[in-house]
Amino acid sequence: MKLDRALEDTVQAEAELATRLRVVADRHAVEHDLHHLGHSLARQCGEHLERLAPFADRYGASVGADGVDDSPGVVERIRRKGAQLVGRSEGAGMLLLRDLRDLYLAAHEAELSWLILGLAAHAVRDRELLEVTADCREQVEVRGRWVRTRIKEVAPQVLATSS
Amino acid sequence: MTDRIADVWGARTPYRAGSGWPRRVDQHVEDGVPEAEVRWFPSACVLCSNGCGMDIAVHQGRMVGVRGRATDRVNHGRLGPKGLFGWQANNSADRLVEPLVRRNGRLERASWEEAMQLVVERSRRVLAEQGPLGMAFYTSGQLFLEDYYTLSLVARGGIGTPHLDGNTRLCTSTAEFALAETFGSDGAPGSLTDIDQCDTLFMIGHNMAETHTVLWARVLDRLQGGDRPRLVVVDPRPTTAAREADVHLAIRNGTNAALLNGIQHELIVQDRVDHAFVEEHTVGFETLRRQVREYPPERVAEICGVRAEDVVEAARILGSGQRLVSTCLQGVYQSHQATASACQVNNINLLRGMIGRPGCTVFQMNGQPTAQNTRETGANGSFPGMRNWQNPEHVEELARIWNVDPLQLSSWAPPTHAMQILRYAEQGSVRFLWVIGTNPAVSLPELPRIRSILAQERLFVVVSDAFLTETTQLADVVLPVALWGEKTGTYTNHDRTVHLSEKAVDPPGRARSDMEILLDYAQRLGLTDRDGAPLVAWRSPEECFDAFKEMTRGRPCDYSGLSYRRLRGAGGIQWPVTDERPSGTERLYADHEFNTRTDRCQDYGHDLGTGAAYERKDRAELGPDGRAILKAVRYVPPHEAPDEDHPFLLTTGRNVYHWHTRTKTGRAPQLEAAAPDVWVELSVPDAARLGIAEGDLVLVASSRGALQAKARLSGIREGVVFVPMHYGSCSEGDESEPAGHARAANELTITDWDPVSKQPVLKVAAVRIERLADGGAAPAPAPTTAAPGPRGEAVPSTSGGPGARATVEDET
Repeated sequence: MKLDRALEDTVQAEAELATRLRVVADRHAVEHDLHHLGHSLARQCGEHLERLAPFADRYGASVGADGVDDSPGVVERIRRKGAQLVGRSEGAGMLLLRDLRDLYLAAHEAELSWLILGLAAHAVRDRELLEVTADCREQVEVRGRWVRTRIKEVAPQVLATSS
Repeated sequence: MTDRIADVWGARTPYRAGSGWPRRVDQHVEDGVPEAEVRWFPSACVLCSNGCGMDIAVHQGRMVGVRGRATDRVNHGRLGPKGLFGWQANNSADRLVEPLVRRNGRLERASWEEAMQLVVERSRRVLAEQGPLGMAFYTSGQLFLEDYYTLSLVARGGIGTPHLDGNTRLCTSTAEFALAETFGSDGAPGSLTDIDQCDTLFMIGHNMAETHTVLWARVLDRLQGGDRPRLVVVDPRPTTAAREADVHLAIRNGTNAALLNGIQHELIVQDRVDHAFVEEHTVGFETLRRQVREYPPERVAEICGVRAEDVVEAARILGSGQRLVSTCLQGVYQSHQATASACQVNNINLLRGMIGRPGCTVFQMNGQPTAQNTRETGANGSFPGMRNWQNPEHVEELARIWNVDPLQLSSWAPPTHAMQILRYAEQGSVRFLWVIGTNPAVSLPELPRIRSILAQERLFVVVSDAFLTETTQLADVVLPVALWGEKTGTYTNHDRTVHLSEKAVDPPGRARSDMEILLDYAQRLGLTDRDGAPLVAWRSPEECFDAFKEMTRGRPCDYSGLSYRRLRGAGGIQWPVTDERPSGTERLYADHEFNTRTDRCQDYGHDLGTGAAYERKDRAELGPDGRAILKAVRYVPPHEAPDEDHPFLLTTGRNVYHWHTRTKTGRAPQLEAAAPDVWVELSVPDAARLGIAEGDLVLVASSRGALQAKARLSGIREGVVFVPMHYGSCSEGDESEPAGHARAANELTITDWDPVSKQPVLKVAAVRIERLADGGAAPAPAPTTAAPGPRGEAVPSTSGGPGARATVEDET
C-alpha cells in the first residue's frame, strides 16, 4: 500500500497552491478581488491540510506540519507595496496573466492529487479518508474554475490593448 | 394640508387582506399658480424604484408641481416626500445649459459641435491605439429605457466593447444575480399587490420606510388594517420598520449569511418545509440541508450578536404563515456575501412553497427608478434582453436583431463590471470613459483612489449630467442633459410595472436628452450595421421602444405586446406583455415553471463563494429543467473586521429626504432643509464611553480615509456606527465651494465587491471614532424622523413648515 505517497502528494500540492495564492494575492493586491479571495482560498488550503493531518499518522506519511501561515509577514507587505507601485505600469497586465496561468496549473495539480487520493481511499476502503476527500471536493474543484473565469476576463484586455 | 416633511408617510388608510388598497391623492403645487391654467402631463416618479404614477404640473412652460395618479396600480395616488418636492431640481438656476470643455485646466463653455468633435476625435484615437477595449461607458439607473438601449447598441454592437456598466452595479446588481441564480433569470417574481394579500412579512436589510416611502405606506396600512401581518425585520439600526416588527434582529452587519442559514436550519428542524413543493419544483435541497445543519441558533446568535431565542422565534413566524412576502435590499446587496445571502432569502420562500401565487413572493428590491431597464437593455453587466453571454444561440440571435457580425459582440467573458472598468482605467488600458448620469467621485468606494484614477492625464473623461458635480470637476468634456419631464420615455419599476413618461417642458438652454446625444455620437463616429446602414435606425424614443420590444420577444422580459399607445393612460402595465397576454402579467412562475432550463436561462450560475462561473455543461449536469435552484453557502467572516485601532463596524446608507449624492434632492429646499449635512449615528453606550454628546463634532476614520461629522446618539446597535452616503465634497449650488472638510461616507469604505454580482461592499468596514469638538448644545443636522431618531436628548422634531405642505384628497 502506497497511500503515504498519495497523501504526501496532496499535502504538497495543497501547500504549494496556498503559497501561490498568497503570492498572487499580494503581488496583485491592486486587483482587489484577487487580493481578498486569494487570501481566503489560501486559508481554506490550510483547513484542508488540517483535515488530512490525522491520516498522515495512519499511513506513515512524512508531511511538514508547517502548513499555511495566516498572518502577513514582511515579504507579503513588501509585495503588496510593490503591487501598488506597479499597479499603473504597462507590464502589470502581462505579469498578472502569467501568474494566473501558473495558479491555474497549481490548482489543477492539487485537484488531481485529491482525485487520486480519493480513489486510493476507496480502494483501501478507508471510509473516513474518503469522506474527507468527498467533503473537500467542491472546494477543491472551484479554485481552478475561479482562476479560469478570471483568465477569461483578463486575457483579452491584456493581449488586445497596447498597454 | 399635511406637512409631508414631518409626516413622511401621510395619513393612514387602513385595509384588510384582499380588500384593495384605498386611494389617496397627494399633490404639491407652487403657491400662487392658478389651478385652471395648469396643464398636467402623465409620468412616474424617478426618485426610487417604486415608480409611483404621477402627473407633472406645467404652467407657462415651466414645471410647477406634481400629483399622484389615483388610477395607477403602484401608488393609488400617493407620493412620498422626495416625489412631492424633488421635481424642483429641474428648475434650479444652476442647471448645465451648455457643453463645457477643458481648456488650460479649466472647464469652459463650448458649442455642441466643438464638444462632440472633441469626444469623437478622442474616441477615434483611442480606438486606433487601444482598440475597442480601450473604450468604456459608465451609466446610471435613472435614465430612460430608450437612452440605455441606444447606449447598449452603440457600445456593444457598434464600438464592440464589453466595458459598459451602470451605477446599478452599486444598487441592485445583486438583485439581478440572485434572481438569475435561483430562478434562472432576472425579473421580480411577484407583484406589489402581494403586500395586499400577505399574512407574514420578512424584511432583511431593507429600510423600506425611508427608501420606498409609498410602499411602506402600503405596508403600514396593512399593519393597521385589522388583520395585521406578522413582521420580522433584520437591520442593525432601529428603523421605522424595526419598531413595528414582531421580531427585530439587530444583527452585526456582515453576518446575513449566518443568520439566514440559521433561519433555514430552524425551518427544517421545526419541519416548516413544504416537502411536496421542494421535491417537485426545486433542486439542491439535500446540499442545502447539509449546509444549514451547521447553523444551530446558538452558533448563529454568537456570530450575529443576537439572542438565539429571537432566531427561533423569527423562524417560527416565517414558518407558520400561509402567505409570506420577503424583501431585501442594500443591507444584503451592499454587505458581505451579498449574492449568497440574497439567494438564501429566495430559499426561504421556496422552502415554504410560497412563490407565484397571491401574497407569496420574494422581492429582490431595486433602488433606482430605472435600474430594471439598465439590466434589461444590457447597459449593465448582462446581455440585452436577459440573454446569456455564454450561450452562442443567444449571442447569435442578438447579432441577427442588431444586424451585426456575432464576432462584434464581446462574448468571451461576462460584461465588465464598474469596479473592473475603473481598474482597467487605473492600469491604463482603458483610455476613454464616458460617465452618464452618475457621480462616481462620491458614490464609489475608497474615494481617494477613485479621484486619482479619474484625474489621470491619459484617461479622457466625458461626463453627461444636468449639474456640475464632484465628477464633472475631473472631466475633459461635460455635456448638459435633459432630465425627467424634459424628454419622453419609459421605465420599469421593481414589480415589472412599465410606465410612459411624457415630455412636459423643454430642457433648459442647449441641454439634450441622452438618447439624442448618443445618436449624434453614433452618427459622427459613422457606426454602421453589417450592411453599411446606420447602426442605430431610430430617431425618436418611440421608434427606439419599438425596436427594443422586438429585441425582447420571447425572452423573460417580453415587451412585445406593449406600445406607447397602450401605455398611455394605462396606470402601469407589468411585463411580460405579449399577444397572448396583452394586459401584462401580474406574477411570474404561477405554474412554478422557472427559467432555469439550459437553453432558456440568463446565466449558468456561479459558485457563490468565489464567483467562478459555471458553464453550459455544468448547468446541463445540474439539470434543473424548470425547477428553481436552492443554493447553499457557508458563512465566512467579512474581509475587514474591527480591531484595536479601528474598533467600530461602519455601515453606510440612505435617508428618507435624500437621493444618491443629492444632485437633485439637495436642490429641493424642503428636502435639503430636513437633512442639510452629514452626521454619524452611534449608540448611547458607545457615546458615553467616548465622552461624546449629541451634536459633538467627531472624526470617523478607517485605514483608508476619514471624515468629520456631528454625532447623533441613536438606538443603533452597540459597536456599529452609521454614516449617510448622500454627502459629497461639494455644497449644492456652488461646486467651487467645498464643504470645508471631507464628509463623504466613501472616504472610509473598502475596495471590495461581491464575487458574483460584483456589487461593492459599502456596509462593512472597520473605523475608529474620536471626539473633536463640543457641539455647543446644538443637535446633529440629522432628521428626527425614521432611523436617525435621537435617544435621550431633547432634539427639536424635523418639520417642513409652510413650504412642505401637500394637499391630500381621499377617494375612499
